[in-house]
Amino acid sequence: MTQKKPAEVLNLEGVACPQNSAKALLKLESMEVNGILEIIVDEGEPIKNVPISLEAEGHEVISKVKIDKVWRILVRKL
Amino acid sequence: MKRIEKRNKKILSNKLNLRCRKMINKIEIYLDNAATSAIDLRVSEAMLSCQDMKAMNASSTHKPGVIAAKAVEKARTVIAQKIHSETQELIFTSGGTESNNLAIKGIAFANRERGKHIITSKIEHSSVLETTKWLEKQGFEITYLPVDEEGLVSPKDVEKAIKQETILVSIIHANNEIGTIESISEIGAICRSKKVYFHSDACQSFTKTRINVKSQNLDLMSLNAHKIHGPKGVGALYVRNGVKIEPLLHGGGQEDGLRSGTYNTEGIVGFGKAVEIAEIKDIKKMAKLRDYFIQKIQNNIEGVDLNGPRAKRLCNNISLRFRFVNGQTLARELNEKNIYVSVGSACLSTKVAPSHVLLAIGLESEQAQETVRISLSRWTTMEEMNLVIQRLVEIVQHSREIR
Repeated sequence: MTQKKPAEVLNLEGVACPQNSAKALLKLESMEVNGILEIIVDEGEPIKNVPISLEAEGHEVISKVKIDKVWRILVRKL
Repeated sequence: MKRIEKRNKKILSNKLNLRCRKMINKIEIYLDNAATSAIDLRVSEAMLSCQDMKAMNASSTHKPGVIAAKAVEKARTVIAQKIHSETQELIFTSGGTESNNLAIKGIAFANRERGKHIITSKIEHSSVLETTKWLEKQGFEITYLPVDEEGLVSPKDVEKAIKQETILVSIIHANNEIGTIESISEIGAICRSKKVYFHSDACQSFTKTRINVKSQNLDLMSLNAHKIHGPKGVGALYVRNGVKIEPLLHGGGQEDGLRSGTYNTEGIVGFGKAVEIAEIKDIKKMAKLRDYFIQKIQNNIEGVDLNGPRAKRLCNNISLRFRFVNGQTLARELNEKNIYVSVGSACLSTKVAPSHVLLAIGLESEQAQETVRISLSRWTTMEEMNLVIQRLVEIVQHSREIR
């Protein structure tokens, strides 16, 4: 069974596009392959743009869940 | 992509060849690194790589925008780590002058309801002094603290000058003309305990002394790239989390609205690279050459005085007074021999008036004009130092003979 527990959490609330994507991608660069990162992003443009940027660099977006006013994205580094 | 790589390699090899040819045909010794320093080839390579990556506007959300934003954020991380700050505490600017303006005016206008008193010193860079002079016209009160004969601001003087209305203390970290390293940790501790913001201009000291914005209690700190073998036109301002400043530039809202304007991606990437490749061993090497030079000059030429302290001194700064020899004349004669130094601050070298820094350490106007500033880089060698010493002995002797 593949592990889905995040190794690290990155809170990008209040961080505008595309700086949020940039920060998430840099964080993934510092992690080990298959490592899972939990990213918190704002509603609106961030939740639309960040997953696209993550997938464009080949990472796997496992889930996107809305919690109150923010979104929690789980992504696996590939 | 391969074509671009090939072209870049060609550019770099041409540059290298040019440097080598210069070395063979003509010995040139650049010792004005406090004015600006040559770009490291690793920095120019990193800057060129922005084109290879097709990095575009770092505020655009398309792929080339994200690539640019990633490059900018990577540089921000490197620079933040160097000063022990958080990444979100760094604002990219166009350089030291803008950083100083943003820090001082930014604090002044965000806190004017609290008070309108600012403390600084008499030996600040003109981008601080001209800013505070302008603020005086806007109704702010500025205290200009004196310095001792070595250029040191007394932390006790800072403490005494703080009053109810004081909102900011701005003291240069290392002086650009005489190399004095100020006691910023002590001043920072005083300011923090008195709940007054503390800014320091670290454009000369960045990567040449250890900086820890947290342990040194800094609220704001100005940094720049071109003094550390990075590109011109890029700098940064550290603003501690929770410290409010008013922006100078309004527009697209970049840097959390504190510094609008399209990101200078290539410049920022170059800045990050310059910081990444700066090494502690360079500091030690420069300090060793500096001490060797000062000692050798004083042993070989009569009547040479050192401006600024011996110990609390920037690793690459040598500021000397040659009695009865005009500094401008000396710099000109060295220039003819392809040795490049300055008479003080580059920004002041076109002015006839003696330097405000040299007057502040108690020199007479005539003594101030006998000064030459020699500032080293990590590439300065012992051979170069010896050659300059030899030339100085000849020039000074000749100048004194014909006077």
